[in-house]
Amino acid sequence: MSEANNDPVVVVKDVCKEYRKNDNVLTVLHNMNLELSAGDYVSLMGPSGSGKSTLLNLIAGLDKPTSGSVFVCGQDLAKTSQSALAKWRSRHVGFIFQMYNLIPVLTAYENVELPLTLTPLKKSQRAQQVKTALEIVGLGDRMDHYPRQLSGGQEQRVSIARAIATDPTLIVADEPTGDLDAKSGNEILELMERLNSEFGKTIIMVTHDPRAAARAKRNLNLLDGRLVSDSEVQKAEHST
Amino acid sequence: MIPIKYNIRSLSVRWVTTLLTIIAIAIVVFASILTFGMIEGIDNAFKSSGDADDLIVMRNGSSDEMSSTIAPEVARDLLTVEGVATDSDGEPLVAREFVTIMISSRRGKDATANVIVRGTEKASRTLRPAFKIIEGRDLEPGVNELIASKKMAERFEGAGLGEVTEINNVDFKVVGLFEAGGSAAESEVWADLRDLTAAQRIEGAVSVVNLRVPDEEKRLALIDRIKGDEQFKLDALPEETYFGNLQSSSSTALKVIAYIIAFFLTIGAMFAASNTMYAAVASRGREIGTLRALGFSRRTVLISFVCESLVICLLGGLLGCLMTVPLNGLTGGTQGSTFSEVTFSFSFGPKVLAQGMILALAMGLIGGLFPALRAIRLQVVNALRQR
Repeated sequence: MSEANNDPVVVVKDVCKEYRKNDNVLTVLHNMNLELSAGDYVSLMGPSGSGKSTLLNLIAGLDKPTSGSVFVCGQDLAKTSQSALAKWRSRHVGFIFQMYNLIPVLTAYENVELPLTLTPLKKSQRAQQVKTALEIVGLGDRMDHYPRQLSGGQEQRVSIARAIATDPTLIVADEPTGDLDAKSGNEILELMERLNSEFGKTIIMVTHDPRAAARAKRNLNLLDGRLVSDSEVQKAEHST
Repeated sequence: MIPIKYNIRSLSVRWVTTLLTIIAIAIVVFASILTFGMIEGIDNAFKSSGDADDLIVMRNGSSDEMSSTIAPEVARDLLTVEGVATDSDGEPLVAREFVTIMISSRRGKDATANVIVRGTEKASRTLRPAFKIIEGRDLEPGVNELIASKKMAERFEGAGLGEVTEINNVDFKVVGLFEAGGSAAESEVWADLRDLTAAQRIEGAVSVVNLRVPDEEKRLALIDRIKGDEQFKLDALPEETYFGNLQSSSSTALKVIAYIIAFFLTIGAMFAASNTMYAAVASRGREIGTLRALGFSRRTVLISFVCESLVICLLGGLLGCLMTVPLNGLTGGTQGSTFSEVTFSFSFGPKVLAQGMILALAMGLIGGLFPALRAIRLQVVNALRQR
């Protein structure tokens, strides 16, 4: 299974997130506290507007809390500048989006190589990592295909290859199966499970789909910006 | 860095918009190069006219040859001044010249213009080093013959080889065509000094005297002597100074107008480039968000979008430069300070092309900057939500 250690990878402490529009203040997260250990595979569930995507964005360093602190891999994200956050994301976070978010004018290979261009790796080293990542997701034979030449499931697999190419500590997935049919969705979930169990990646996944949540090790439920449940998933529930 | 192929392929996806923008920029660059090429051509016409060793002697207070008159006996005295160079036959390089204008019809157009006719002596040719007869022969004094510059022969009726033109009711026949290295002489028709003044019924009249004094000390001494002589009432100028003055009076206004036109055209083209890039940014919000999420900094995204704009404008600039190739060396005409026709060849040298490309890149840089700033101002989270 995962090579977890006891140091938390993610520590969310007393986090509030508010949005202001004119004189109205909308509080999306209330005093959130959360810890994730290395090797965790966590699903975030809750109705629309419950704050799950906001929490995911805070943990991924895409947004900052109004108050409180978010530590990820030892970095205090609330106190990190935008440019330092960008660099930090490139090293520590892999992203999987609902709509895949591949660059349409780049091939599968070039899409996966994109985050690697931010590393000091040489072209030949990058090539090796891109090939490995694409082979892990089963697309070693589709490297030169553009996103439009791939099915939705294949596009999402390229997106996963891009997320793991830099070997990040944390993978954040925002509804990774939300735009896929059941079969493709299942393949993606299997792949994510492998990333967690075989490669020890810490994964946080926002989902509406209970079947997807059942693949995780831990389920967090949010309601109105508050954490209402935090439970371990029983292994027996996995098989469907 | 975001790979440039991302930008180039994005441009090719929107190829219709990209192509139209490239064409718009090419037209602006073409028009600007044409204007700069014209100024360069006019500058060349005057620059190549002045020789450092040569002096031009005119009546004191005259600003150009046309308004100068020198008394015949004074002009004769100048033939024997000390320090004047001689040609290969040992003849002094001094030429008395009479300059007048005639009204001529433009070929193929219902329009007329003032054409300079110069009464010349033998030394007039040697005093213009690039002078050469390229068709026909040189004129024979005493038989009312003319030679015309090739450019004037092309532009004016009566100036072609074998054609006859009337000067003050006297027929003159064109027996030869000449070139003079693009200098001011190429805007002229030449007659023999005596034939021309006889036809004008002012025999012996002289407008200017040109002479070559290679020794600088002697040249400066001669200038002082001519200027200082109360009886002569003449002014002596190095040719370079004389043509420099003419050049500035002819082309300064033109330059100002040209730069103003180029400026406004460039502003217009910047809007075209900007518009294209605004559309690109608007339609690629999610891509921008993704790039930022992956870790590309705001500055990198800014540079990427500015580069994309520069690629469009670079292509537009190159196309604009290419469009001028068939026009290089084309002859044009404009009115000089003496209200006579000044011909010039459009000159699209490296300097002019570089000016065109600088304009194109300025369009790309400024036109792309504001859309790129808009791209990086997007919040990553909001950009990722765009469709």
